[in-house]
Amino acid sequence: MKLSEANKAWVLLVPALLFLALPLYGFLSAVRTSLQDQGAFTTKYYTTLFTEQSFYESLGYSIRITLIATALSLLLGVLITRSFTPFIQRTAGKLSIWLPMLFPHFVWGYIVLLLFEQSGLISNLLNEIGFIPSTDAFPIVTNDQNGIGMILTYVGKETPFVVLMLLPIYTKHDKGYRDLVETLGGGKWAAFKDAEWPWVFPALVETGIILFAFILSAYEVPFLLGATFPEMISVLTYDWFYSGDWNDRPLAFAAMVMTSVIIGIVSFIAFSVMNRKRMLLTKGQD
Amino acid sequence: MNISSNGSSEMMISLKGWEALFSEAKLIQATFVSLGIGALVVVLNLIIGLLAGKALAFYSFKGKAVVDALFLLPLIVPLLAITMGLHVAMIRIGLTDTWLGVVLIHLVPTIPYSIKMLRSGYASMGTGILQQAQVLGTTRWHRFWSVELPLLMPSIRSTVFLIFVISLSQYVITAIIGGGNVVTLAMIYFPFLDSAESTVLAAFSAWFALLPVLFYLSMELLLSLLPYQNPWRTRL
Repeated sequence: MKLSEANKAWVLLVPALLFLALPLYGFLSAVRTSLQDQGAFTTKYYTTLFTEQSFYESLGYSIRITLIATALSLLLGVLITRSFTPFIQRTAGKLSIWLPMLFPHFVWGYIVLLLFEQSGLISNLLNEIGFIPSTDAFPIVTNDQNGIGMILTYVGKETPFVVLMLLPIYTKHDKGYRDLVETLGGGKWAAFKDAEWPWVFPALVETGIILFAFILSAYEVPFLLGATFPEMISVLTYDWFYSGDWNDRPLAFAAMVMTSVIIGIVSFIAFSVMNRKRMLLTKGQD
Repeated sequence: MNISSNGSSEMMISLKGWEALFSEAKLIQATFVSLGIGALVVVLNLIIGLLAGKALAFYSFKGKAVVDALFLLPLIVPLLAITMGLHVAMIRIGLTDTWLGVVLIHLVPTIPYSIKMLRSGYASMGTGILQQAQVLGTTRWHRFWSVELPLLMPSIRSTVFLIFVISLSQYVITAIIGGGNVVTLAMIYFPFLDSAESTVLAAFSAWFALLPVLFYLSMELLLSLLPYQNPWRTRL
């Protein structure tokens, strides 16, 4: 039997689609657990969740830190990629970008802790050279209420990721468009806006969504560097999941489902903004 | 490790941290567990990623946009939600507290990246060279072995490396599915953070970076068995 082109593609996709059953089942099962009480449908866990002050505090705190860390990583990533593309393509450049990716997030968090704690390296160094009278004068930036330690960790770890996602675009990008803008009398800003941004923007949106989703729901770094109050949403969830009280368990599921809903809304908005842009882009190419 | 620290008092460099690290019996075992799990995750990623990457790079079909979006989903939906949801099911079929369960959960944050990277590998290869091989009368397997794999080497290298690092980095999902019985490196390091001495932790941190490099080098040895990968041959 001869397979049609489309069917060939589907055959190749079988293992990947089988894999997808894993996350899909996991997520749907989380949703189901959050809506069930001894087999019967209930929304009581969500009602409890929405009256839980710690949930709101935690969610607001998490979203704020996630937004700041994501935005900073994206910004730095773009700046680094567009200024250093030729360097990054060389071996030394590649290595320096790959190096931070070698370490897990929690090791990176530990490094930040080591450096920025009040009893850490930087504080001791500043004290040593007499810049601050004692290590206590160093501002508290780890396990702090503002999540500065977490933001530092994520920016350090995710900026290289942004660079890696953007690099193919900058290496392949057609210099012709930039020349065209210049020939037509456009300045630097016009060249950036018309010849660069439309290609970079879609990748930036995709990377930004991945980062937002990841940071909002990751557990390791908040556990290490977060404050005891407010807690990041993932730490709160994990506490509920493993607390001795079995009544708290569905609350953990409900909290994660709500987090997914927020990620869904943010992604939807970002993608629809991007699609409008992309439509203009493809129209321009006709 | 039996490096004596006798007379090392004048030395600036001390191996104390490393000594303490390797005297931890669990470390060696956890290293092997991590390597084993990582290797399995990498192999599964390559199989799934190569097939799906080829499909997405070379064929256009109905529903491709949906498939594309679905493959991004495992990165967007919170890993904690997926893992907690799978936990119950895995208890039922006896996959919790097992290697296999941990391997499966490690697939979730890795497969999307493999598909993405290997897809772009296939896309930059183009269909021309495969058609040429076909015209010359090769079998499908022969084509894969002697054209696709050698040309995909750069993408395969980055995939192997990245996927192994991601697998090595998972703490919370390993803890939930492995239930404390599957002891990977992350499972030792993470709780260690509160208590241990900083020199030991620094050595441990470096071990985390060393391991992917060692894995990569041994993978490179294996990959050199592929056709057209012998470094001496190409210089002839």
